[in-house]
Amino acid sequence: MNPATFEKGMVFFLTILTLLVSSLLLIILATVFAKGLPALHSGFLIEASENFGREGGIIYQLMGTLILMTGAVLISLPVALGSVIYQTQYLKSETGKEICRQFAQMLNATPTILFGLVGYLFFGVYLETGVSWVTGSLILAVMILPTLQVSIREAIEALPDQYKDAGMALGLSPWSQIKTIIIPQCYYGIITGVFLGLARAAGETAAIMFAATTFSGIHLPESFSDPVPTLQTHMLVLTQEAANPEALAQAWSAGLVLLSLVFFLTVMAWILRSRLKMEAEL
Amino acid sequence: MWVFAGLNLIFLCCAGGLFLFLIFESYPIFKLHGFDFWLGQDWWVGEAYGALPMLYGSTLVTALACLLVLPLALAVAIFISEFLTPTSRRCVKAILELLAGVPGIVYGLLGVSFLSLWIKDVFGLLDGNTLATASCLLAIMILPTVLTLSEDAMRSVPAEYRDNALGLGLSKWQTATAVVLPQALPGIMGAVLLGIGRAMGETIAVMLVVGSLDRIPDPWFNIFSSAQTIPSKLGREAAEAIGEGTHWSALMALGLTLFIMVLLINFIGNRFLKRRSIS
Amino acid sequence: MFRMLLFFLVAIGVIPFPVSADHSPKIEIVGSTTVLPIASRAAERFEKLQKIEKFKSSHRLRILVNAGGSGVGIHSVAKGRSDIGMASREISPSERKRFEGSHLKVHTVAVDAVACVISSEIYEAGIRDLTRQEIRDIYLGKIRNWKEVGGPDRKIVVVDKERHRGTRHVFMNYIFGNPTAKTPGTILVTGSNNEEQTKIAQSDSAIGMLSYAWINDEVRAIGIRDNKSIVNLTRETIRKGNYPIVRNLSFITAGEPNGEVKAFLEYLKSPEGQQLVEESGYIPFT
Repeated sequence: MNPATFEKGMVFFLTILTLLVSSLLLIILATVFAKGLPALHSGFLIEASENFGREGGIIYQLMGTLILMTGAVLISLPVALGSVIYQTQYLKSETGKEICRQFAQMLNATPTILFGLVGYLFFGVYLETGVSWVTGSLILAVMILPTLQVSIREAIEALPDQYKDAGMALGLSPWSQIKTIIIPQCYYGIITGVFLGLARAAGETAAIMFAATTFSGIHLPESFSDPVPTLQTHMLVLTQEAANPEALAQAWSAGLVLLSLVFFLTVMAWILRSRLKMEAEL
Repeated sequence: MWVFAGLNLIFLCCAGGLFLFLIFESYPIFKLHGFDFWLGQDWWVGEAYGALPMLYGSTLVTALACLLVLPLALAVAIFISEFLTPTSRRCVKAILELLAGVPGIVYGLLGVSFLSLWIKDVFGLLDGNTLATASCLLAIMILPTVLTLSEDAMRSVPAEYRDNALGLGLSKWQTATAVVLPQALPGIMGAVLLGIGRAMGETIAVMLVVGSLDRIPDPWFNIFSSAQTIPSKLGREAAEAIGEGTHWSALMALGLTLFIMVLLINFIGNRFLKRRSIS
Repeated sequence: MFRMLLFFLVAIGVIPFPVSADHSPKIEIVGSTTVLPIASRAAERFEKLQKIEKFKSSHRLRILVNAGGSGVGIHSVAKGRSDIGMASREISPSERKRFEGSHLKVHTVAVDAVACVISSEIYEAGIRDLTRQEIRDIYLGKIRNWKEVGGPDRKIVVVDKERHRGTRHVFMNYIFGNPTAKTPGTILVTGSNNEEQTKIAQSDSAIGMLSYAWINDEVRAIGIRDNKSIVNLTRETIRKGNYPIVRNLSFITAGEPNGEVKAFLEYLKSPEGQQLVEESGYIPFT
């Protein structure tokens, strides 16, 4: 076979492969949608679940997931913002920066089940927050810290030097510089990070299944010590009943809702990131 | 300034604290059993705590997933980086980023409903919850990440290499495979290692399809038997022992082992990613 | 527009903040998946009753019911992480020793049987009963094919449960005389009753252990054969005590229960509660 044909063949083969991989997403989406359709009815997003989760809707599970992720971001944002500002504006030594980077990578790579177990012991038992949405949010906050940091750091480093120079020329103190220049200009980067963090926290099951959730009994949490039902753990319990088609259909529908949530947040993050790039190029 | 330094300190404490916590909690079992913990084959609560079946399961499942992912990731990365137009490239990268964000429980559901039954039928097995099933599922899970990072590695090879090669009369394919690929190798290694790190730590999806049998398969290479990985073990047994006791200490020791393994792999992987080109 | 989004996010985060100073009390129940249906049904009815008796809803009782297994239930209630632990087995001697300080009290509410179950395909093929020895050998891995006990030529998928599960304790105690017996013949380990039922239904040559209430068309119970007689699993044989693998379903508290927990337990033991036990597929205790 002459080399040209061989190459054409290879390129063709690779095109098919790439199409296959790309269609993986479509396949997953289509499957989740198709399997979830039987249980999807107009009130699905508004009704409570019934009959051990085999019927009804998932409103409280959805609320539970939203509460956990929002709590996580609200707790994580100040720490992420503060630590990145410190590392970029105040920390001068290279070793210091390297250590911070290593710690961030360490946090990012940790298996999430360990977050769940150690987090429960630390927050739930030692700090006595118990099995509650607060514990869950705290654990998730620690988990998404690196995610937020990356986006914020990207935004700060994308700031043109002129801004910082202008600030120094005006004689502003570092704090004023941060307050008036850096934070407002990095607005989009911060929010990008928030959305990416939300997306990551939304999909997490292992980190919260011991520390924050209940399958039944609670609708909306009424205090800081209440656990919450979540989409993820709801799906986990139903998946173990795979022989029961009703339960399985409910699991798929909940999965569809969860997947849509994660995709929506990710796409929002993209839109924001492109706005960030536009601003940086101005 | 002190506010920010303080916040940074909190961040550092979170990362370091986790590690210290694991060491502290697993100390009792090491005091009791020493290194036999890692070598023992029997895990029977109350009597023996041998981690070998879990270590073996974790390693085998990850290695197999890696084997499945590598050729595919390499092939598609070459294609995306060297043969695709910028627009299509952005499109595919976007798809990959979405795929990488799919929650583990969704994969778990897919595994239980489809993969498990499919593997059982195709290979004529007694049951579909096996090492092989877990490996396939993990392979699909880490494919987007490994692919995207490998593609980044190839992309970051300086344009001169390509220009020179094309100028010398090499075809696009030859340029891609003989010139760009070798240069991108460290980055690709890094990508694979990071993918391995993620695969090792995955709990939910694996827990539902691996079979949860605390035993090294017989014979050892029988990937179609049920087995156990560390995260899956933790997921199934932690609720029973949470808090204190020898059982808990043993589970924490498992966690510590996993943590160190993943950390090492990630560290080496990141090192490779930094060294984008050999020169 | 993005400011609005941020505001929306913060709004969601604020929802759980307590609206009233004193929040409604709750009972947390954790444990056996066998007992769970009873607890769930009772929780629902009991909560409704509370609404009728106390018109002011500021003290509405909430009852949380979660699975995990008998071992988790006992551990949980002993450590104070839950108010009631559900167990489908006795508290083991080692558990009693470990949790001596918690003064665990057992409130039995129902009677259940553990069935040795097989896939419906094997049942249809003619296997209707096995001896204790045969079941033992299957779980030990000595008997590997259904044809060795008179069935079709198929490898046996031996399904086991997690070590701490109540159903397993009771089953192993009967088969091996040891509630935590080791079973080298196991092919697959499952957790809850639901999971095991799923696995046996999906397979066409499985054997496993399940609570009596989980038997259905896909998952059939076999009788236990003695030298001469076969004891099949029916409500009668359970009630009369003929069926050998019978156990109590209990709710466990740390110390004497009081307040809402006591009221709930009394509800379970009342005729109405026992009615719920029957609805769930078990035998009333009283």
